[in-house]
Amino acid sequence: MDKTIELNLNFPDTKTRWENFLINQGITDFSSREVDVLDHSIGLIDEDGHLVGTGSIAGKVLKYIAVSNDEAVHGARFNQIVSALQEYLFGQKIYHSFVFTKAKYSSSFAHLGFNELAHTDTAAFLESGTPSIQDFLAKMPRIKNQNQKEVAAIVMNANPFTLGHQKLVQLASSENDLVYVFVVATDASLFKTSERMDLVKKGTANFNNVVVVSGGDYLVSRSTFPAYFLKSPDELITTQTAIDALIFKNIIAPELTIKKRYLGTEPFSRTTNFYNQSLQKILSPTIEVKIVQRFRDNEKIITATNVRQLIKNSDLKDISTLVPPTTMNFINDNYQILQERIKKGMNIDGN
Amino acid sequence: MEIKTVGVAGTLESSDIQIMISAGQNGIEVDLDSEVAKSYGDQIKKVITETLNKFGITNAKVKATDKGALDCVIAARTLAAAQRATETTDQPRLEVLQ
Amino acid sequence: MTYVKNRLRRTMMFVPGNNPAMVKDAGIYGADSIMLDLEDAVSLTEKDAARMLVFKAIKTVDFGGAEIVVRINGQDTPFYDQDVKAMVRAGVDVIRLPKTESAAMIKKLVADMEKAEEEYGIQKDSIGVMAAIESAKGVLNAPEIATATPLMMGLAVSGEDYTADMHTHRYPDGRELEFARNMVLQAARAADVYAFDTVFSNMNDTEGFYRETKYIYELGYDGKSLVNPRQIPMVNKVFNPTKEEIENALSVQNAIQEAKAKGSGVISMNGKMVDKPVVEKANRVIETAKASNLIDEEGNYIGE
Repeated sequence: MDKTIELNLNFPDTKTRWENFLINQGITDFSSREVDVLDHSIGLIDEDGHLVGTGSIAGKVLKYIAVSNDEAVHGARFNQIVSALQEYLFGQKIYHSFVFTKAKYSSSFAHLGFNELAHTDTAAFLESGTPSIQDFLAKMPRIKNQNQKEVAAIVMNANPFTLGHQKLVQLASSENDLVYVFVVATDASLFKTSERMDLVKKGTANFNNVVVVSGGDYLVSRSTFPAYFLKSPDELITTQTAIDALIFKNIIAPELTIKKRYLGTEPFSRTTNFYNQSLQKILSPTIEVKIVQRFRDNEKIITATNVRQLIKNSDLKDISTLVPPTTMNFINDNYQILQERIKKGMNIDGN
Repeated sequence: MEIKTVGVAGTLESSDIQIMISAGQNGIEVDLDSEVAKSYGDQIKKVITETLNKFGITNAKVKATDKGALDCVIAARTLAAAQRATETTDQPRLEVLQ
Repeated sequence: MTYVKNRLRRTMMFVPGNNPAMVKDAGIYGADSIMLDLEDAVSLTEKDAARMLVFKAIKTVDFGGAEIVVRINGQDTPFYDQDVKAMVRAGVDVIRLPKTESAAMIKKLVADMEKAEEEYGIQKDSIGVMAAIESAKGVLNAPEIATATPLMMGLAVSGEDYTADMHTHRYPDGRELEFARNMVLQAARAADVYAFDTVFSNMNDTEGFYRETKYIYELGYDGKSLVNPRQIPMVNKVFNPTKEEIENALSVQNAIQEAKAKGSGVISMNGKMVDKPVVEKANRVIETAKASNLIDEEGNYIGE
């Protein structure tokens, strides 16, 4: 039987051996964007001491899974690798995992209890364990006879919540019976997830048909859409935005009877532009996509990027014209903490 | 018995079954994934449910991914997952398997 | 299942205790003893699950008449107590204690087993013990370990840990194990318990495996530990008695029958008295020959 061992990729020899094995299996992307995020890697060693399989974990995502197929029992190595990776995750009390894989391997994962959430021509995205996307949706607040109502959705990082965000929500609120505002759940921004969530709630408190909920793992999260948080090549962004859009279109929107999605134009972020294009292409006509021009303050476009820049430059006075009082109060109260985060290297140019 | 966390035991390897137990409200709900579900699905669910009932769990969500496990393996994995979910691993309730 | 002190134990096959596929099939290869492992083959996070799987397997799986040994976790681990309790409750044949270094450790094991037997209503002394000798200290204390309890089934040399303790590792010629092999064997023989040799893990070196097995057979070992079922027929081949040995053993048995028929207390063959070790050897030869299908029920030689 093959033995499972831990691979320490900090050892140059181990890393070379790992890369060579993967290259032989047709996996060639070892950019630091992909490799630096790995928390744990394992290998399968056969009776002769040869590396015959590998797999890695990044957060709750399985990566770099490959096995050589010169095995006695077809599929045994693959099952052993996935089992060992899950055992590691369970040990970390992580019971919910994802995998991005080539579309042709989707069924292999499905055989191991993974549930496909979306696939494109080339890639597939699956989840395993609990809580599942159904559990996530079951917890969403609903209104009476929701399926006969006009329901819309907005997804935002709100880093932080600006007057632009507020006006977008206001527009959606006036045009619908119910608006879900999904706040990006991944903690990789200047404003922490709990802070962003709180500011969105406070900034939309006046709209009684708006519910603010977490986007969880399914809407622009580090699991579904890592390229949103890390500079990535176009091809990767295209695939990930497509997967994100498909999950929304095929699973989330039908379950919550969402018929419209509101997007703000994003003049400064290439990734967001890509995302908007992808959403438009994939969602319509099933779901109406409303692209709303950025709101302006005296010809100046209001963006969260701007706000962060001003925080960095200590331009507190100018911020007040860009954010609602609730956000302004928070910035005033936490100004030093925010500046410290920037000093410590928090990237403010991203999303 | 109170389910305090997610409890999982077993692997995805041949002849094994992976059992994942989390809190539920509607009795024992088993979501089974098995290549032999058509012929043995009911039996597998029965072993899981009986084992959990014997252990003292009456409400739980169970996700089971079966790779051709025998009944004795199903029972052993269910008990291991149940003890982990109730955080009682240090007090093995082997009588449940008898 | 009940522990039998004397039986054929040429092969002791190691089976990882948390692997259902291997546990379920363990009985089909014809190993004399099956050692279900809760120790090295099970990761720290799976000790609880493996214990349950092995417990349930002992109660339900058909191991084809093989003796069931369970290697529990060592006395210095947090798993030991529950392992002992569970295996007593399961009614295993033999409990194997790893890293045995003293008679006191075996006495503690036996005391813990007795407590569990009482707690769960299991018949006292129905489970045997064996000691894995894995260190210099264990080797030097082999005589006291072998005689620590009447329940002692045997001693096993564990080469990997022992050579590490000796600041060396295993070599193909096995010279590094020479002292340990002899010491453990002497201790076992003097105490009238079984002796088992260590595993040979390079599956591709068939020649080396035969060489080592033949060597320990010639030293007088009762059996060898195995990690792969493919090694079972290989060990049996080495342990098979020759045609001459079988014929001689049959003659000894014949002489015993004759003595019994005559009501004589003295067994004689070719005009000489037959001593007890000769009788015992003959019994072992016949038993082995039967197990390997070298003689039929009537005792006729049917080997090649």
